[in-house]
Amino acid sequence: MRRLLRAADVGQVLLKGGPARLPDDVVPRFKPGDRVVARNINSTGHTRLPRYARGKRGVVDRDYGVFVFADASAMGRGKQPQHLYSVRFAARELWGPEASARDVVFIDLWDDHLDPA
Amino acid sequence: MNGIHDMGGMHGLGPIDREENEPVFHHAWERRAFALNMAAGFLGEWNIDMSRYAREQMPPAEYLATSYYEHWLWGLERLLVEKGLLTRAEIEARVAELRRLAPR
Amino acid sequence: MSDHHDHAEEGSPLTETELRVRALESLLVEKGLVDPTALDALIDTYETKVGPRNGAHVVAHAWADPAYKVRLLEDGSKAIAELGYMGRQGEDMVVLENTPKVHNMVVCTLCSCYPWPVLGLPPVWYKSAPYRSRAVLDPRGVLRELGVEVPEDVEVRVWDSTSEVRYLVIPERPRGTEGWSEAELAGIVTRDSMIGVAKVQAPARGGRR
Repeated sequence: MRRLLRAADVGQVLLKGGPARLPDDVVPRFKPGDRVVARNINSTGHTRLPRYARGKRGVVDRDYGVFVFADASAMGRGKQPQHLYSVRFAARELWGPEASARDVVFIDLWDDHLDPA
Repeated sequence: MNGIHDMGGMHGLGPIDREENEPVFHHAWERRAFALNMAAGFLGEWNIDMSRYAREQMPPAEYLATSYYEHWLWGLERLLVEKGLLTRAEIEARVAELRRLAPR
Repeated sequence: MSDHHDHAEEGSPLTETELRVRALESLLVEKGLVDPTALDALIDTYETKVGPRNGAHVVAHAWADPAYKVRLLEDGSKAIAELGYMGRQGEDMVVLENTPKVHNMVVCTLCSCYPWPVLGLPPVWYKSAPYRSRAVLDPRGVLRELGVEVPEDVEVRVWDSTSEVRYLVIPERPRGTEGWSEAELAGIVTRDSMIGVAKVQAPARGGRR
């Protein structure tokens, strides 16, 4: 069913937004504090796992809850509800010894991007 | 995909050029390109992840040489054709017609 | 950004990009897939209603009301919605606080994700290749280039917006603003400070608005 956006509805439509958070009850694979490694994937499809993080080790900082898995949704493979986390990577893990020992990068990653480290 | 859009960590892409008192849109066409993307997205034929994937498929050299709303326009054309809402031929025909009618 | 083929405006020859936008709009309108007045409403929303003043309101409220700041850091979406800001590209908000020990900055390396309800549409530099490429690799260099020197003993945290979660930074409240009203505080909060690439400066004595 195609929906035509009418001028009168624009305000309400924008306020409602398009939530990617899902009510599904899915068991998280990780919890805050867990050490993880980002998978080394090189698919020709869509992924929200940036190249610079692949194969790198980090720590789960927060569990944001269950979300649409963008990598699947972009390819028409459904929502594949799963947990989304904020994962903390040390700058030195990502960029080597020249990087600041103090600095960190947080990346939002899903269960299917991660393995236990 | 390992595309040009995935640019975290690259060197050599130049200085960060910040504009004082920047307007929301810089050209009239940017307004329309933005709003067309939003309105066409609302039709429900694709989702936001598909929109991003469409933009990522712009050829890398072209991606780097064009602006954000040009990426959006390119992705929108691709999705409209992919989903069968418009054909490539009818878009090109309309572009040619508008070019003929346009002020010189 | 490249402007090489979009210089034309009213009265001058149309560029290829302008022609393509017009072609798409006219075809979609003819087919009944797009209502042109909805396009006008969308444009008007982001040009005149939704912008960084919303975020400045949130930050000023957090500075003025410590209990609100606690709620904001605990559940960003809910606390921001208390002030009426919500929806498209801000459905799930996370708020980060800059302190004398931690400096947060936000980027989206893969596209240009940005918290629209509180900051409006992103500026060109945020969407640009130079910022997206280097913010994660060399945040201190990027900050220096943008005029912010972060001392060595301060931790820099870069947030790459790779999901639908959107980030808003509460900048440090400048000294000399004690006793200011919320409206006065909101007046000095800049867009860039809420992305984490600028500090908020208190106007010099006598410059208070």
